Amino acid sequence: MIDQVLQTLHDLRTYAIGKGYEIEFLYQEENGSLMRFANSAISLNTSEHLIRLNIQATLDRRQASVGLITDLSRADDIKGTIDMCWEMVQHSQPLTYQPTVPTYRTSFTDESAFDRPLAEMSSEQKLAYFNEAALGLESPELKLSGIFSSGSNTIALMNTRSDHSLYFRTSDAQVTAVLAHAGLKWELIAEQSAQAAPDLDPAALHRELSFLADRFESTQPSQLPLGAYDIIFGPAAIAEMLGVMNWVGFDGGLMKRGYSFLQASDLGRQVFSPLFTLIDDPDRLETFPFRVDFTGIPRRPWPIVDQGTFRGFLWSQDSADEFGATPTGHTVAHKSLAMGGGDAQACSLPDLVAKRRDRDALYVPFLHYMNVVNPTKGLITASSRFGALLLRKDGSVGIPFNVRLTQSLLDIFGGRVEWLTQTTLPYNTTHSYGARNPVAIIVPRYMQVHGLEVSHSNPSF
Amino acid sequence: MLEQLRHLVEHTRAQGASYVDARWYPFEETQSLVMWNGNLKDNSFSRESGLGVRVLFGGAWGFAASSFAGEPSAVFSKALENARAAAARVTFPIRLADRDAVRADFVSPCTIDPFTVALRDKVGSLQHMDAAMDQAGVAQRIGRLTFVRKQVVFLDSEKAEIDKRITEVFAQMEVDGNDAQGTSHERKVRLGCRGLTRGWESIDEPWFSRQAERLVEELNQVLIAEDCPKETRSVILLPDIMHLQTHETIGHALELDRILGYELSFAGGSFVTLADFGRLRYGSAKLTARANATMPNSPGSFGFDDDGVPAQNTLLIDKGILVGAITGRQMVEEANAKAGHVLFPGSGGCNRATSFYRVPIERMTNINIDPGSDGTLSEIVSRTERGIVLDGDRSWSIGSNREQFHFGCEIGWLVDNGEITRVVKNSTYKGDTVRFWNSLSAVGDDSTWDLKYVDNCGKGQPNQIMQLGHGIPVCRFDDVTIGV
Repeated sequence: MIDQVLQTLHDLRTYAIGKGYEIEFLYQEENGSLMRFANSAISLNTSEHLIRLNIQATLDRRQASVGLITDLSRADDIKGTIDMCWEMVQHSQPLTYQPTVPTYRTSFTDESAFDRPLAEMSSEQKLAYFNEAALGLESPELKLSGIFSSGSNTIALMNTRSDHSLYFRTSDAQVTAVLAHAGLKWELIAEQSAQAAPDLDPAALHRELSFLADRFESTQPSQLPLGAYDIIFGPAAIAEMLGVMNWVGFDGGLMKRGYSFLQASDLGRQVFSPLFTLIDDPDRLETFPFRVDFTGIPRRPWPIVDQGTFRGFLWSQDSADEFGATPTGHTVAHKSLAMGGGDAQACSLPDLVAKRRDRDALYVPFLHYMNVVNPTKGLITASSRFGALLLRKDGSVGIPFNVRLTQSLLDIFGGRVEWLTQTTLPYNTTHSYGARNPVAIIVPRYMQVHGLEVSHSNPSF
Repeated sequence: MLEQLRHLVEHTRAQGASYVDARWYPFEETQSLVMWNGNLKDNSFSRESGLGVRVLFGGAWGFAASSFAGEPSAVFSKALENARAAAARVTFPIRLADRDAVRADFVSPCTIDPFTVALRDKVGSLQHMDAAMDQAGVAQRIGRLTFVRKQVVFLDSEKAEIDKRITEVFAQMEVDGNDAQGTSHERKVRLGCRGLTRGWESIDEPWFSRQAERLVEELNQVLIAEDCPKETRSVILLPDIMHLQTHETIGHALELDRILGYELSFAGGSFVTLADFGRLRYGSAKLTARANATMPNSPGSFGFDDDGVPAQNTLLIDKGILVGAITGRQMVEEANAKAGHVLFPGSGGCNRATSFYRVPIERMTNINIDPGSDGTLSEIVSRTERGIVLDGDRSWSIGSNREQFHFGCEIGWLVDNGEITRVVKNSTYKGDTVRFWNSLSAVGDDSTWDLKYVDNCGKGQPNQIMQLGHGIPVCRFDDVTIGV
């Protein structure tokens, strides 16, 4: 496959050079499938095989790009599109800065995160997985929903500056299993991310769903009073917040444009809790990493926050060009964020519930519909969803209706952090809007934060 | 190609499928231009072509899509194979509501095809916007133009055959600034659905100039304003936030697939149940809402949905009482069966896919609120004792069953004793959906009504982005918590 892809790019490059064009090519091929469950049935079973080709032209300070979803057998159409892109760039407006066209000094190929058995999982295998994950848990009232999304993703880059290329191929799976009560409207979730087939463990999902279902079926839910709570965030919630932080926190370009809650003056300062360490670690295969960025810069583990001290903004090539910064190897489809664990022991939900505590704590596994109320304050808002628990100091467990948190990330990851679990895991944050782009963030299993305000409390599910 | 598709639809049907449809996109073209602080940061064009096939077998859906034009038979085979696999776990065998098998064309109204306009003219328009926004107090100025042109050929095993050609124009301008504390603020405006067509002719440079003056003036007022107080007041929502309130707490809540539990693993459910139709007092008697896909100029109007059902104008809420939903062929059959009587006489024509490689799902069309009889904005303000006028969507977050919400707005004007007193910044409000709509105390007249669009509505797995519209008047709600 790799030979065919690179030959195609090579032929297009030869065509562009022959015409005197400055062109960059980005090829992306996805072969994906998604089995969706709803109301305890397979509600949809899809397959998509798509090839995208992005063509970017640069002429002095002008740039233009054309994206195609197409069939590579249409070589003449594609060459015509290259001509069109060159036509577009001539009528473009010059930028106020010089954009960089990278020169690849060597070719790079990485298929280490590709696992054929995972990429080519059959519908029958997915159904068997779900049947095991939900075994004995469904009833006329308790219905199974979820997805099993899997497939492969290939990205290749080449340009007219050199005949070297970059090539990445990954396999991925994202599994979400939800048990929802038709009448009472509570919902429980268990999730899994996989880069290779052995990562899949339906029994683990079953254990988590089973544990939660037992509690939800035997406990009357109630409305929480407004006020401050110690909150234990689960992996989905932590990953979602890190995703926002990655956007309005560490991005150099957004900081320069005035949209970041971190400023240049925060560099080297203790901004967060000493318990909080975050790196961009392309050595973690679970994150579907890019070990070279799209400009050819080799990527190494990159400290972002070290025991609470902010270590540096991340610069893509374009932002670095615009603001006169040095690119940091972050011109990639996604980063490989990895948050360090702490020393708390809780490897599973039963461990967490059984953990001794001297104050009540609210367990929030999942934050629904998070949005940024104010980026420069790091202010976010979201609602709890999917199996929140009130863990009382006397050992009993309550079922709260969903609540809303409206809080600054500087508080959540700041001095209020009480503990993190030693255990970490990859949480899959992939969305399937547009091109396939599997991404996972390594997070502690649980993180407890002291005294966060519940700003709204539902009277029901 | 079309003849080959007809043959493959029939061939797949003959292999045991109870229904087959194909959506062939000969082309979908998008041109995106973004000018940021005078820099043309995005000058891109995209062209997509391919085939999506949906097969119903044994009461279950299979879907396949490919950009490989030379292999349509493989796409049909894969879709059938996927449906056969899905049929292994069926709890409610899928049936499709009856409809006439239409053979028709639809062309969206467009006077000047934006793809025939020279790039330099489009860039010139952005430069005009940029210059108009380049004023004191503005740290970031962003102008966006997006043009879409597509042909969709739909055919199915019930002999429907529809050829749609749709052109869209989207435009937005935004100014951002930072206050003395370093906090960022923004004001923006989208083109809206002005006039009766949606081609290049809707790009009206004098309108953008006027909007730029207004946005900059309001941004500068926000930059020196005090924070929105934390208290309870009446909120008067202008169309640039009212459309989103309608979108999130009427539109999504009334999608029938959500109500029936088909989105529980991602987008969420709805507080609405089948038993609520005809009974639930959703809002005050001043509230009448409808799903109207027959308006001439909106991305929520598309002629026929991706079930091949003609566009309709469906009443959703009648003087406060819930009476309708956003529906497609599959869901109305299931809802009627589960309700034990006919709740929905047929599909509402709302099943749409964002592209050839995604499956159609229930989507908003134009979810509109009828204008009321409470006069102009000025008259509503003059009859408000203690309130706040809010405009501009800055952030939005809604509970998973659409039961509660939190919105952040770009600007607020406090109202005391019938008069606007001052601008406030960081304006937010929150509420519980049904309680909020039942507190609707004033609905503006025609002069306050505006048709806005949403171009980034996300839903479904695999995820889909959809474009749609909201025609809404100015509305006032009482006893709302603000500033939290």
